[in-house]
Amino acid sequence: MDILIIGLSHKTAEISNREVVSKKLITSELRYGFSKELLDLKGENGRNLINGIVVLTTCNRTEFIMDLPSCAVKGEPHFIRGFIAEYFFGAGCRDSLLYVYLNNDAVRHLFIVASSLDSMVIGEPQILGQIKEAYNEACDFKTTGQFLNRLFHKTFNCAKTVRTETKIASSPVSVSYAAVELSKKIFNSLGEKKVLLLGSGEMGKLTVKHFLKCGVQNIYIANRTKEKAHQFIEDAFGLNEKECLSVIDFSEYYKFLPQSDIVLCSTGAKDYVLKYDDIIPIIKIRKQRPLFLIDISVPRNIDPEINKISNVYLFDIDDIGKMIEDNVEIRRQEADAARELIEINVKEFMNWKESLNAVPVIISLRNKVKNILETELSEYIGEKKEKDLIINSLTNKILHEPTMLIKKAYLNPGGLNLIEMIKSLFNLDLEDKNTGRQDNGEYRNSEKQDGRSRIKIIK
Amino acid sequence: MSNELYLIPFFIYIFSYALILPRKKKLHKFFTILIYAGFILQSLIFFVFLSTKGFNASVHIGWFVFFNAWLLMTVIVLFGLFYRAEYILLYVTPLVAVNLLIGFFVPHIKIEPAMFSVDKTILLTHIILILIGDSFFALAFMVSLIYIFQERKIKIKKSLKLFDKKDNSLDEVFHSGSGYNLELLDNINYQCLKIGFPFITIGIALGIYLSSSLFNAVIVAKPIEIISLIIWLIYAVLLHERIAKGVRGKRAAVFNVIGFLFILFSLSFSFYLFPTLHGF
Repeated sequence: MDILIIGLSHKTAEISNREVVSKKLITSELRYGFSKELLDLKGENGRNLINGIVVLTTCNRTEFIMDLPSCAVKGEPHFIRGFIAEYFFGAGCRDSLLYVYLNNDAVRHLFIVASSLDSMVIGEPQILGQIKEAYNEACDFKTTGQFLNRLFHKTFNCAKTVRTETKIASSPVSVSYAAVELSKKIFNSLGEKKVLLLGSGEMGKLTVKHFLKCGVQNIYIANRTKEKAHQFIEDAFGLNEKECLSVIDFSEYYKFLPQSDIVLCSTGAKDYVLKYDDIIPIIKIRKQRPLFLIDISVPRNIDPEINKISNVYLFDIDDIGKMIEDNVEIRRQEADAARELIEINVKEFMNWKESLNAVPVIISLRNKVKNILETELSEYIGEKKEKDLIINSLTNKILHEPTMLIKKAYLNPGGLNLIEMIKSLFNLDLEDKNTGRQDNGEYRNSEKQDGRSRIKIIK
Repeated sequence: MSNELYLIPFFIYIFSYALILPRKKKLHKFFTILIYAGFILQSLIFFVFLSTKGFNASVHIGWFVFFNAWLLMTVIVLFGLFYRAEYILLYVTPLVAVNLLIGFFVPHIKIEPAMFSVDKTILLTHIILILIGDSFFALAFMVSLIYIFQERKIKIKKSLKLFDKKDNSLDEVFHSGSGYNLELLDNINYQCLKIGFPFITIGIALGIYLSSSLFNAVIVAKPIEIISLIIWLIYAVLLHERIAKGVRGKRAAVFNVIGFLFILFSLSFSFYLFPTLHGF
């Protein structure tokens, strides 16, 4: 079996090309239809070219992770790439938009993607959830098999190891997220805090979304044009989120300052909206309760002198930006450590994969020994109930060490001579050597993989 | 032999800190487990000796230091569990360890000789109440120090690694609790003040009563009484300001630090420097 990944990502294709692909795979029916088409591709000998497939689609990438029979590693990957390119971009298109990874490179690529090293923002957590979703969907379509199941479980395991063993995901790298993280350093529970948003820019929207995710229940939005504020809520937030948002008159925002714990300023004003003298009485009314001010507007809308007031904490876009720069650097440094972990995991998986080649020899050897034992022992123990048990037990004991040796031999480049020797010694008939593969080819439809290996999606 | 046993929890506490230094995440939970184990052992030793030797035989200055260490550890553990804030264990346990060490080396002077004329129960109640109050203020002191440093970090925006939760092993421990934020620290401070103040008030009142019995005067201008009244006044003003004007944050933390420095001074004054001037 071989692993083939064909796809395109933000690193290899423009958004216009990515759009074309994602539009044709936008629903699960479309993805199922295309998976079926790929699975029905036949080789020259009439056999299926692809044993199993998982379709991964995110906003930044589309990838087809495929399990091919071993014989299909010559021209087939390019044939499949041509087929995919033609399907999405039409006949005569440039298939160079699609990258191709095979076996070792494919496994490494998948691990790198799942560990979020290939993402636009290194260490972002969504990609792992998206891969889990794609895998679960493929399980529903019954287009995966033992091999892909193992590959994906190893992928999730590897991504988890990378996240826990390195600091790749430990520091916020977006302004909005950093603003929320900062507020957690000041306030104990954000759920009961009130947020006042001045202005309704894009950054403000993202920050409000983060605050809502953290359980903030009361967010006041003040914009000079009230209709724009209503439109802002209508466009960007769901029904449940809207319940937590209320629009107030911009002229009245001052009245809401004493009850607001967090003020987020992103207006387009040229002067300070909040001045030092405005905050002094506010903090007295608040009985010294902490006030967190975030100024993400340029030019600044909150007087920097305000930070000198006791129990008032002001962060502007530069302060948060510096923090993020450091964190991006931390993530970059951690990516090297993550790659080392990935290499270890790739090696482990490829070893497992190589050991699969030993299966036909092992099966054949076991059958041979079993047959001999059955013939010889029948004379002495007849047709007793325990006969099968005894034969199996003896087979296991006799073949334990040879089996381990055969598995190791397949991992060792010089071990093939040993395999040949074993075949000659025992006169193994391996005519049915493809049986295992054919069986594996049929595993798609087996009951065993039907949803049982589904992965719980953690969002 | 009894005092040597207190060195076991002492070494457990010290050893638990060695687990944080290698910066191995897996070791951090063992830090907490060891601290709790040390506390259980410390409690066992304390109560076993109290029950075997009897209260009267146990009561000497060393015993009170061990008692103070046990009280402080109890307060730390309770607050740590209640607020799910393990950094309390991390920061305040050294105070307990120091107490255990002092208890081991302090001369074991009996407290009763100068007290023929006063009720011994009142004397012991006075000491115990003061020590309970002091334990809460000790916790408030350490939490205030954390608050002041943390607030400074946020104000000057200097230490950006503040947000890197896994940057160092200590941060690991902070974040295994419910968080490390100014509001929570201030709240812990306030709770310590609310609980500790009544104890210290009654304790000081009993002290004044004992002093008046001993010297046959209601107010004797002894240094310890003046220090005690200053301490009481600091915490009384702080409590009043918190309730009436809502003073909180850094100002309250500074008040707590000053108050506890006076407590340290009064304790060393009472027990170590001039025990005779205290009345024993």
